[in-house]
Amino acid sequence: MPPELLRMIIAAVLVVAFVFLNAMILGYMERKVSAHIQRRPGLMEVGPHGVLQLIVDGLKLIGKQLVVPEGSNKFLFRLAPVLSFAPCVLPFVVLPFARKLQIVSMDISLIFILAMTSINVIAILVAGWASNNKYSLFGTFRSVAQAVSYEIPMLLSILSIILITSTFSLQGIIAAQKYYWFILIQPLAFIIYFISGLAETNRAPFDMPEAESELTAGFHTEYSGMGFSFFFLAEYANMFTVCSIATVLFLGGWKGIPLPLGDYTGIFWFMLKVYGLLFVMIWVRWTYPRVRFDQLMTFCWKYLIPFSLANLLITAVLVKLI
Amino acid sequence: MHPATEKLVSALQDLSISVEACDYQQRGYHFEIDLEADKLRPLAECMLAREMFLGFVGGLHVKPAVEIIYQFASFERACRIVVRVPVAGDNSMPTISDIFQGANWHERETRDFYGVNFTDHPNLKPLILAEEDVDLKPLLKKDEDLKGATEVRWAVPVEEKPEVEKAEQG
Amino acid sequence: MENLAENRTAYTDLEPATDIPNENHYYLNMGPQHPSTHGVLRVLLEMDGEYVVDPQPVLGYGHRMQEKMAEHKNWMAFMPNTGRMDYAAALPYNHGYVALFERLCGIEVPARAEYIRVITSELNRIVSHHLWIGAMLLDMGAFTPILYTFDDREQVLDILEDVTGSRLTYCYFRVGGVCKDIDDKFVEKTRAFIKRQRERFDIYNKLVTGNIIFIKRTEGVGVISPDMARRYGVTGPVLRGSGIAYDVRKNEPYSVYPNFDFEIPVGRNGDSYDRYMVRLLEIEQSLRIIEQALDQLPEGSFLGKAPKKMKMPTGDCSFSVEAARGELTYYLVSGGGDIPYRLKIRVPSYSNLSVLPELCQGMLLSDLVAAMGSMDLVIPEIDR
Repeated sequence: MPPELLRMIIAAVLVVAFVFLNAMILGYMERKVSAHIQRRPGLMEVGPHGVLQLIVDGLKLIGKQLVVPEGSNKFLFRLAPVLSFAPCVLPFVVLPFARKLQIVSMDISLIFILAMTSINVIAILVAGWASNNKYSLFGTFRSVAQAVSYEIPMLLSILSIILITSTFSLQGIIAAQKYYWFILIQPLAFIIYFISGLAETNRAPFDMPEAESELTAGFHTEYSGMGFSFFFLAEYANMFTVCSIATVLFLGGWKGIPLPLGDYTGIFWFMLKVYGLLFVMIWVRWTYPRVRFDQLMTFCWKYLIPFSLANLLITAVLVKLI
Repeated sequence: MHPATEKLVSALQDLSISVEACDYQQRGYHFEIDLEADKLRPLAECMLAREMFLGFVGGLHVKPAVEIIYQFASFERACRIVVRVPVAGDNSMPTISDIFQGANWHERETRDFYGVNFTDHPNLKPLILAEEDVDLKPLLKKDEDLKGATEVRWAVPVEEKPEVEKAEQG
Repeated sequence: MENLAENRTAYTDLEPATDIPNENHYYLNMGPQHPSTHGVLRVLLEMDGEYVVDPQPVLGYGHRMQEKMAEHKNWMAFMPNTGRMDYAAALPYNHGYVALFERLCGIEVPARAEYIRVITSELNRIVSHHLWIGAMLLDMGAFTPILYTFDDREQVLDILEDVTGSRLTYCYFRVGGVCKDIDDKFVEKTRAFIKRQRERFDIYNKLVTGNIIFIKRTEGVGVISPDMARRYGVTGPVLRGSGIAYDVRKNEPYSVYPNFDFEIPVGRNGDSYDRYMVRLLEIEQSLRIIEQALDQLPEGSFLGKAPKKMKMPTGDCSFSVEAARGELTYYLVSGGGDIPYRLKIRVPSYSNLSVLPELCQGMLLSDLVAAMGSMDLVIPEIDR
């Protein structure tokens, strides 16, 4: 077996394992953080402080039957969770966890990630359509409109970083932040990116597609067992991807104060920054009410896009001048 | 009496509706009106014009006919009026749901419980009961339980005290 | 078995899928099991995209025919049923029922008993508003406030449990008084709660009242005009949100409410936000009433002389109280004896909900949830 192929197999296994692990850590974190925000202990039963709860939950979900509703498109209904899950794994292939910890180094890795994350919309579309349920369809309509709209300010804010660094390579962008993080010179872009990221991953207060008080559970109303878990995993994987791009673009990636951890210093800082951002996401979710759908769109088209365009223009002028 | 209440009473009397004042401490309402079905709608219009609201519509099964009871009250002052209207022979009542929209549901409920047909009601489908229970009429009394309309009224000179059989000291 | 099968076909015949008036519209069935219908309310929505064209509530899923039960029982045997209509604030229902018989039969109630009734009823009103604030915010997608309000709610429920013996469906009042006296521990715990609740308002305001998303979601949503309120007979905080200061406690004072100094908070615009503010301010007013009642609490008997077997005089009698959701009226027609001839229960949520079809026409689905949430519906009360 050629060593390159072996490397790819090991990497693929590691990535999938990491996606599951990440979902478990985030699931635990979400439940614990929300519990403490709400002044209750949260998970306490399974294992010390409930650390094993998510494993038990996972086993339960695996054991559950996937009920395919009558009148649904059975092939598409089964396809949708896979379609949602697969593209969420791929961005991990190009993420730079540390200086040398990157499975594939591509010059266009940023574009690759953005392309992969937008496939998720199709999965939601398929899931909602195949479920043959009005609530699912509603969630789908909202989700697609929302994801497509928020992609624009997200890309525009990324573009202003690209103008400065002139590279799509993630390692290149990190290298460009040698003396200062880009959040210092592009704070507006960071805020716009983060808000768009919340909307892209369907997190509260922008969780329109699964607004449970209106749409019961939105596009995954009809899914049970592993069908549901795949959407769940995909959501957490997407959150991780969004936050790691934010880390790479604005927070200096794996760079940090040198620690006596050798090459692992990079991955330590990277994870710290990513999970710090994820913590903020969770914090926001458990604090704010949900916005209304038209307010969500107004906010995107009337505020985020003009502001990100203005920011881009100013950046372009400044880059040209300096 | 509050001036607005006086105006309401005189307006009702102009419609040749007789309004009887009651002892609030004893009955919990200020006026009672016994009405014929044909005067119900003018009364309701008068009530709305004089800023009363509809408390409820309910039924009462007595001999000779089911009575529909309307209670009106005021947001601004203490003024509560009970109106009793016996249902006509063909078991129908004029609706007031176009005057007081709140009556819509109350009338549907009364139709559920007593089977009274409210004429010109926009949507007289069962509300509280299931649609297949359209002929259940649960609150109609059996013949042996049925009392006459005068048997459930206050006697004219109110002297009667509750019969105390055994008092209990707490 | 045949009957069952017949009923089932009859039921499916009712599904309205075929008679859609406009071919671009469709029906969305919200409930009877839905996260924001709080119980077993079903709302049949005719929708045009995300806009609600015609919302029609379908009632009766929790119907128990309470009024029929009242006609078949000794009046006292019906007493526990009164606590099972509005489960979120049962004590005003107790209060109206016993006060109705006290009025009808001319029974005196000792002053201490009236004070205890007022204190516990107001505590119950606070509990109900706690529940509502949490549930309303849950409808709007905020998960956290409900745990804060439930924290406070627990404090009150513990206090009420000590004295009434139950936490939700109370049956505490008796004709002529209450069934158990309150003690110093109750007074102490209630005072501690008042102090604690006043501190908690700050948290509510920081978390909810000033929240920009909450304001944007509720301001101008579900505006009930005073005229509309009158036509539908809307009462309670929903009415007061529209700027009409109607409160049975002030309008037709009962019990010992005239002895207390309190205000009726009213809103200006009649939107969901005003209804929220009215309820929040009402908690403070209830605290004021309780505080004064505890200060004035007289010594004496808590259960007066009441006949154990009571024969009612012939006649009719009405009694209204201010329940947590609005005006509750018991209207009794007595033909003598000890079984009511007819007991009509006018529940506030029934009239309040009947506004929904007119109120929510042309609204977004999200606004319908916000408007319906702000009405504070308790479905078993509506269905009775």
